[in-house]
Amino acid sequence: MAEERVAEGRAVPAAAGTAPRAVLHDIRYSRFSGALRPRRSAVGAFVTSSVRRPLGLRRSAGAKVWPFLLLAVAYLPALAVVAVPLLVPAVQVQPTDLIGYSALLATNSVVLLAFVATSIPSMLTRDRRDRVLSLYFATALSWLEYVVGSVLAALWLLALIVLGPMLVLFVGSIATADAPGTWAADHAGDLPRIVLASAVVVLFHTSLGLAVGSLTSRRVFAVGGYLAVVLVGPALAGVLAVVTGDEWPLALDPSSGPVRLAASIVDGAISGPGALAWVVWAVVVVGGTVVLAARYGRGSDR
Amino acid sequence: MSTLDPPGIACRDVSVRFGAGTSAVQALDRLDVTMAAGATGLLGANGAGKSTLLRAALGLVRPQGGAVSVLGLDVVHERAEVRRRVGFMPEHPCLPADMSAQDVCVHLARLRGLGRRDAVRRTSEVLFAVGLEEERRRPVGSYSLGMQQRTKLAQAIVHGPDLVLLDEPTSGLDPAGREEMLAIVRRLSTELGIRVVASSHVLDDIERTCDEVVVLRSGTLAAQRPVAVGHDPSGAVELRVTSDAVAFAAALAPRVEPLGVLLSPTAAGDIGLSASPDAALDAVRDLAAELGAGVTRLVPAARGLEDVVVDAMGGTRG
Repeated sequence: MAEERVAEGRAVPAAAGTAPRAVLHDIRYSRFSGALRPRRSAVGAFVTSSVRRPLGLRRSAGAKVWPFLLLAVAYLPALAVVAVPLLVPAVQVQPTDLIGYSALLATNSVVLLAFVATSIPSMLTRDRRDRVLSLYFATALSWLEYVVGSVLAALWLLALIVLGPMLVLFVGSIATADAPGTWAADHAGDLPRIVLASAVVVLFHTSLGLAVGSLTSRRVFAVGGYLAVVLVGPALAGVLAVVTGDEWPLALDPSSGPVRLAASIVDGAISGPGALAWVVWAVVVVGGTVVLAARYGRGSDR
Repeated sequence: MSTLDPPGIACRDVSVRFGAGTSAVQALDRLDVTMAAGATGLLGANGAGKSTLLRAALGLVRPQGGAVSVLGLDVVHERAEVRRRVGFMPEHPCLPADMSAQDVCVHLARLRGLGRRDAVRRTSEVLFAVGLEEERRRPVGSYSLGMQQRTKLAQAIVHGPDLVLLDEPTSGLDPAGREEMLAIVRRLSTELGIRVVASSHVLDDIERTCDEVVVLRSGTLAAQRPVAVGHDPSGAVELRVTSDAVAFAAALAPRVEPLGVLLSPTAAGDIGLSASPDAALDAVRDLAAELGAGVTRLVPAARGLEDVVVDAMGGTRG
């Protein structure tokens, strides 16, 4: 039988002119002599891994249940309003007439909070709990690569649950339109608006979730801390609004604030205080980044 | 013992302190040491500064004073290059329990810059080398302690580092697991050409895996010497007899001095012979028979590794 031996990446034919029918792989340990990839490749691998774990990919079936249940709930409204005109030709209504982008954001806001609470802070608490940071910072990643990779992974995950349904609604509306080309041309401006609106929501919760997660190694504390901010915050803002008799305290609501700002981008008008809400948004996004830098900037695993 | 240039780890006047005020702990105290052997064992009691030295070499701890270089690279200013060329096996558990050994090694290899194909291929190689090829797809959390230690070692060498730092590699292992781990560690420097710095508080582990031993005590260098010292069979010896040592030495001197052997008392009150050719040892035997004296101790004067280490760890600087 013609054989081919593979050693140090080179294949040596057993006999000239004969096609190899079997290959012997030398799997003994040897020193790596190949070229290393650029650092962006390593960061990309870290982002991919960090996205997979909260979704339960390459994990047990049980680990996939909760994240995919939340994703299903988030996509359900958009899929439903798109599916009805597609499956029932008698229905002559546009999906965006049934539920607008801002309404979709508001509908999914509870699902979003649940998704963020269970996936984003634990991206960082898990690494501290497993004490894998000593390996990362000693032999693999700089602290900046780690933080950037974590932020990109969180942005990607949250875009999946915020931007994804709106894209389904947008594409579904084109598909169900009587004249898809005309509808797409008429509504081309919607696409950058929904991307920007999603970015507002995603950036806010990424920054808040990661900042909370960086402060502890206990997942339960991180989840509790995040939920405390987004659940107690609205209550305090509401009480403050009642006490002051004004609506400006509603701008401090960390739960509905980003969604209201995102809706203002889509609809062109904001309900309630706008300028102060943007200030709060900026403070949380910048403050979260500062917390992350302070927490990991020393490059220490503790 | 051959030395390599640049040294694996070189510390110059390195000080590391944890905490402040009265509760501060001086982990490393103006430490000066150069580890240039193929495999260096870092020995010391708990709290001697072994792990802190390794963490300082990896950049996980920043010294308050002095400089640490790894493979000739400054660990503060050239940390990216240090990361690329170094592997690390911590003492503490550091593996995600829900990932398999295969996924852990592939993941870390990719973070260290290997492409996916290379990472998978080298993961197979290292898991085979540490004896985990059959169990590589099981979650790490279901592994025995010995298998977790092997996984930690596998991830440390998956990217082909020039230097691997092992913090207590045999910690918590049963005798069989310890034997296997020591064999693997020894193979790193002797067969695979990877420099090794391994910390331990067990002298036997160091003797069996390293070329050089560095003893730390209270954050300072207490001793540094090769593990294997060439034994001179006709070198100086120390003699203890049951009769009066002074009288025995006076009677022995005329018989051995013509052989070029000089006698001198040792600190322990024994008779020191400057050399021990066969003729001198024959003279000792004959004289003892003539005087009816018993020889209770006749040992090389060169002190063994264990003596040096015990003295160094106990307080006498070697």
